[in-house]
Amino acid sequence: MTNSQGRTMRSGSPGRRLLLGYAMAALTTASLMSSTVYAQSVDLSQWSPEYIRSIAGTETFDTAGHCASVVPLDYTGRLTYWWTGPTEASPRIEHEINDAFWAAWAETYPNIETDAQNIDYNQLLDRLRTTLLGNAGPMAIRLQILGGVEFASKGYFQELKPEDIGYPTADFWPGAMKSVTWDGAVYGVPTNNETMALIWNADIFERAGLDPESPPATWDDVVTYSKKIHDELGISGYGLVARQNAGNTPFRFMPQLWAFGGGALDEAEATPAYAESYLDNEGAVAALQAAYDMYVRDKSVPTSALTNTQNENQAPFIAGQLAMMIAHPSEYAKMVDLAGLATGADKEIADTVVENMRYGLIPEGPARRAVVFGGSNMHFINPEYVEGGFDEMAAKAFACFWNSPEWSTKLAWTGSNPGNLAGFKTEWMKERLDSIKFLDVTTSMLPSGIPFPVIPEATEIMNIIVPDMLQNALTERMTVEEAAADAAAKVESLLGGGL
Amino acid sequence: MSIATGRATAPLAAGTTRKRAGILSRIIAHRTDYLYVLPALIVMLVVIAFPIYYTIELSFFRTPPNLQMRDKIWTGLSNYSTVLNSSVFHEVTIQTIIWTIASTVFAFLLGLGAALALHREFAGRGLLRALLLIPYVISAVAASYVWKWLYHSDFGVIGAISVALGITDEPINFLDNRQTVLASLIVVNIWKEFSFAMVMLMAGLQTVPDQLHRAAQVDGANTWDRFWHVTVPHLKGVSMVTILLLMVANFNSFIIPFVMTGGGPADASHIWITHIYQLAFGRQQWGVASAYAVILFIVMMTFGYFYVKALTRGDETRAGD
Repeated sequence: MTNSQGRTMRSGSPGRRLLLGYAMAALTTASLMSSTVYAQSVDLSQWSPEYIRSIAGTETFDTAGHCASVVPLDYTGRLTYWWTGPTEASPRIEHEINDAFWAAWAETYPNIETDAQNIDYNQLLDRLRTTLLGNAGPMAIRLQILGGVEFASKGYFQELKPEDIGYPTADFWPGAMKSVTWDGAVYGVPTNNETMALIWNADIFERAGLDPESPPATWDDVVTYSKKIHDELGISGYGLVARQNAGNTPFRFMPQLWAFGGGALDEAEATPAYAESYLDNEGAVAALQAAYDMYVRDKSVPTSALTNTQNENQAPFIAGQLAMMIAHPSEYAKMVDLAGLATGADKEIADTVVENMRYGLIPEGPARRAVVFGGSNMHFINPEYVEGGFDEMAAKAFACFWNSPEWSTKLAWTGSNPGNLAGFKTEWMKERLDSIKFLDVTTSMLPSGIPFPVIPEATEIMNIIVPDMLQNALTERMTVEEAAADAAAKVESLLGGGL
Repeated sequence: MSIATGRATAPLAAGTTRKRAGILSRIIAHRTDYLYVLPALIVMLVVIAFPIYYTIELSFFRTPPNLQMRDKIWTGLSNYSTVLNSSVFHEVTIQTIIWTIASTVFAFLLGLGAALALHREFAGRGLLRALLLIPYVISAVAASYVWKWLYHSDFGVIGAISVALGITDEPINFLDNRQTVLASLIVVNIWKEFSFAMVMLMAGLQTVPDQLHRAAQVDGANTWDRFWHVTVPHLKGVSMVTILLLMVANFNSFIIPFVMTGGGPADASHIWITHIYQLAFGRQQWGVASAYAVILFIVMMTFGYFYVKALTRGDETRAGD
C-alpha cells in the first residue's frame, strides 16, 4: 500500500525573504532553547495511571509555530519518507488521523514536495537493505525500535538528536533514547513508545475459584493460576507464545526472563555493556523452567503455543477458552470487533468475555517488573545513500512536525504512546485516555520498559535464538539447563563473529 | 557426434577442430535466428546468470551484521565448511530428503491411482476430475492456513473429530510435536501435489493404444497383466518426467513449511529452502546462506541434468536412427 503525497517543487535559490526567515528562525530557536529546552515536560518519577490522567490536557501546543522556528514555513524543498502506516486491517480512526496528518503537513509546509511511502511492517527492513545497496534510499525513515541499530552501525544513518529538530532530549524516554544510540552517538528520534500489559478474563478467574479482580502479582502466580484454571475448567490458563522466527515470542518471553534476573545480554542493567550473555544465568534458567512447567508439566497453556503468534491467542480468548495473555491496549478494541462479528450462542460468550476483560500490570519476578520497551524511531539516511540527494531542511521540518507533541500523540492513537513526552500533556492525550479503555494501565508500564539490546545482532538474538531456546526446552529436545546454555553459547558465538 | 565416432582412428585434435568449425559455421548460418533470441538471452543473463554469479561470490565472504555488503570479509571456503560441519545441516538435510522422497512417491502414486480411475468412462467423471484439481489450483498460502487450522493442536477440526469418535482422548498434536510435524506437513504437500501427477499421467494414458489392450485381452491377459505389461511401459516416459518435476518442486518447497510452522518446533520441520531463508533474512548470514544455496544449486542442477536427459532421450534415439 502506498500513500504518495506529491506536490510541485519550486525552483530557485533562497531569496532575501528566505534569509530573513532563517534569521527569525534562529532568534526564535535561541529564545525557545533558553526557556524550554533541557527542562523535562513531565516528571517520570511520579509516573502512574493517576499522574498520567492528571497531566493530560493541561497544555496547548502550536505545532506550526514551533516548527517554523526550526525551518521556515515557506521553505521550498523535497522530501522522501518511508514508514509503516495504517493497513487495511487498521481501525478506521488510524486512517482518518493519517489523512489528517498529511493534509496538515501539506498545509504547513506547502512548498516541500513530499513522496511518502507506506510500506508493510514485514517488508520495510528488507526493502531498505536492498535499496541502500543501490544508493536509492529515502531521506527519512521510521523503523521499528529494533531495526535501526543495524543501519546505524553500518554507517547508513546520520547523527540525529531531538535538539536538531527543536526538542529537548529530556522530553523522550531514556529507554527510547538508548535505542537510538550506537557507539556513543544518537542516530534518531523516538516517534512513539509502547508497552504491553497482562490481560485476564475475570469471569474465568471467578469460575476457577480465583479473585476475579486480582491479576497474578508475580510470574510464579501466573504458573499457579494457569494450572488452577486448567485443572478446574479444562481450558488454557496463560496464552504462551513460542513460535520460531517470530517477533511476538520475545515480546512476551523477555519480560518473564528479565523479571527473574535473566537477559539476552545485560540489557536490563542501567549501563549495559552488551558483552556477555545472561541467557544461561540463574534467572534465565528459572524463567525458562517456569515456561516448561506451564507447557510440559502442567499442560496449562495452549498445546499450539509452539506454532502460535499472539494472533492465534485472540480466537480462544474471545471464545472464553483462554484466561490470560500479554498484549497492547488495542487488543480490547480487537475483542470488541470480534464480539461484533459473533452470532447466536457465540455472541453471548464473546460479549461476556468483553465485559470481563481486565488489564493489569505485567507480573513481577524476583528481580524486577519488566516489559519490552517497544515503539519506533525516525532516522535520516546519509546523503550518499539517498536517491536524488538529501534535503536537510525538508527532512528537519518533517521530523519536527511528525514528532511534535500534537502529531506524536495523534499518530500513536490506538496502539502506543507519543515518543515526545510533552504529548502526554496535550488535550489529545486526554481524549485518548477517555476513549481508549485500559490505556492508562499499559501507559503506566512505560517506566518498567527495557529496550532490546542496542547491537546489530539484536534481531537475530531476539527473533531466532530466544525462540529457539524456548522450543528446545518445551519440546524436550534439550533439558532446560541445556537449552539455556545452548542459547547463551549461540549468542557468545554470534558476538564473536561466528555463526 | 557422427564425426567423432564415425572415424575411430582419426586424430582427436583434427576431429575437434572440424567440430568447432562446424559449430561456428552453423552459428554464422543461423545468425538471424540468434539475433531473434538475443533479447531473451540478455534478460536471462541479467535476471538469472548475475544472481547465480553473485550468490557464488557471496558464498566466499562473511557478512557481519555491522558491516555494509561492500565491506564483506573474504573467508574462502569457510562458509562451506561451516555448513557441512553443522549439526543442523545434517538434520535439515535428512528432513529435506524425507520430505522430498515421501512427497514425491506418495503424490505420484496417488496421482496414478486417480488418473487410472478417471481414465475410465463413468457418470460424473468430469465433475470428479474438476474436484480433484482443486488442491493444485488453490493458493498454497491459503491452503497452508486452512490446513493449519484443521491440524490445530487445541481447536483443530481433525482433533475434534478424533475425540468425538473416541479414537483419541485428546486432540492429536500434529504440528507442535517434533515427532509428528514433518509427516503432517508431508500429507499437506501430497494433497497439494497429487493433482499435478494426475493430470500428467492422464495425458500419458491417452497415448496408450487401445488396440494393444484389446489384443492382450484376446491373448488372455488379466487386468493386472494388461496394466503391468501394456500401460506401465507406455507411461514410463511421462512418469519419469513427472517424478523429476515433483522432486525438483519438492526440493524447492517453501510455502507450506514456512507458513504452517516456520520450521519448528525446534527445527523439526525445516527443509533446506526454509533454513536458507532463515539464515539470510532472519539472521543476515548472507555468506553462509549463499553457501547453502550453492550446494542446493548443485543438487538441483544434477536433477536438471537427468530431467533434460529424460526429456531428450527419444530425440537422441530418433537422431541416431
